[in-house]
Amino acid sequence: MTVALGAAPGATPPFESIVADYGPLISRIASSYEADPSLREDLTQQIFLAVWQALPTWRAESSLKTFIARVAQNRSISFVTKQVRQGPVAELPDRIEADAPNPEEQAMQMSEREALMEATRRLPLPQRQVIILVLEGFTYPEISEMLQIPPNALALRLSRAKAALKAMLERSE
Amino acid sequence: MTDFDLDRLGDVWRQDPDPGETERLRKSAAAVARRARVTQVIDIAAAVGVAAIVILLVLSNPKTDTLLIGAGAIAVLLGSNIRLRKLRQVELRNLTGSTEDMLDQSIARIEATLRYRRFSIAAIGPAFLIGLLVASMSENRRLASIFPALENWPLLRFLWMGLGVAVVAVGTLFALRAMRRNRAELERLRAMREAYRHEGESSGA
Repeated sequence: MTVALGAAPGATPPFESIVADYGPLISRIASSYEADPSLREDLTQQIFLAVWQALPTWRAESSLKTFIARVAQNRSISFVTKQVRQGPVAELPDRIEADAPNPEEQAMQMSEREALMEATRRLPLPQRQVIILVLEGFTYPEISEMLQIPPNALALRLSRAKAALKAMLERSE
Repeated sequence: MTDFDLDRLGDVWRQDPDPGETERLRKSAAAVARRARVTQVIDIAAAVGVAAIVILLVLSNPKTDTLLIGAGAIAVLLGSNIRLRKLRQVELRNLTGSTEDMLDQSIARIEATLRYRRFSIAAIGPAFLIGLLVASMSENRRLASIFPALENWPLLRFLWMGLGVAVVAVGTLFALRAMRRNRAELERLRAMREAYRHEGESSGA
């Protein structure tokens, strides 16, 4: 994240460097809301557009990562409400690198990641938001600020989300 | 959290995407930004172009009526631009605000859309009947002079009316389908809002 973080304080970094730095985060958030690959592609593009449009309103009061995650989550939620079908759709596993040093291990990791992604998609929306942000490495104060909920309410929500996620992951094993 | 380590799961979650995926994301984002920039330029160019044409038309024929029509056209153009700008600002607020606020705004928007559609469907029948009445009153004087064939061939007049009925029927069907989609979306939005309310109440937020 050298380019975007290296920008002058308060200055908006170029969109291209934002994509280089936060593209994977956007892609993961899209994946945690939409299982269908073609719809996910559509959602990812909509998030990119939303970030592009919202970027001039970023005032560096929060970190750029927080700002982008918030825009991505809100766009994903509005995207999901517009979909006619309900519930997640079975998903094809992601590609596995052909030149990976240990394909078996990587496949296992991919499988764990897919299971995690699938379990996250099944969480109720308020819990899903919290878990995604924790998995993305945001601190609790950042999450509290982003979701506009007090820290004790966040702790309770996170505890419920963890219990639900654990139960789902155990069932999928 | 020994048996369920969120830090370890976070590492799994944030695995680096393969280079192919990164490149695909980069290309996708570049295409989106390009399209957005082009749309922005077209929007501005269209507004400036239309305003310039109206001003040129008024200047080439500076009479009171053309001046009034020109001023009206500019006012409509300005109004639609201001409305579009406000809609975009609301959308931006929704994107950058809290999820609960966004859901509340979306629910209000869909409820307003549904009210509008209900009114449109209720009004379409009477509007069509009034249209038929006006057409029948004026057909001997105006319609027949515009389309003489309608007067000479009763079958053509029948087809003309049939076409009108078909257009109204198709329009109503589309509106009903859109209403069904809106209701489904509203239901999902309310369920999501309820989930947040429930989560907030049970955690004392």
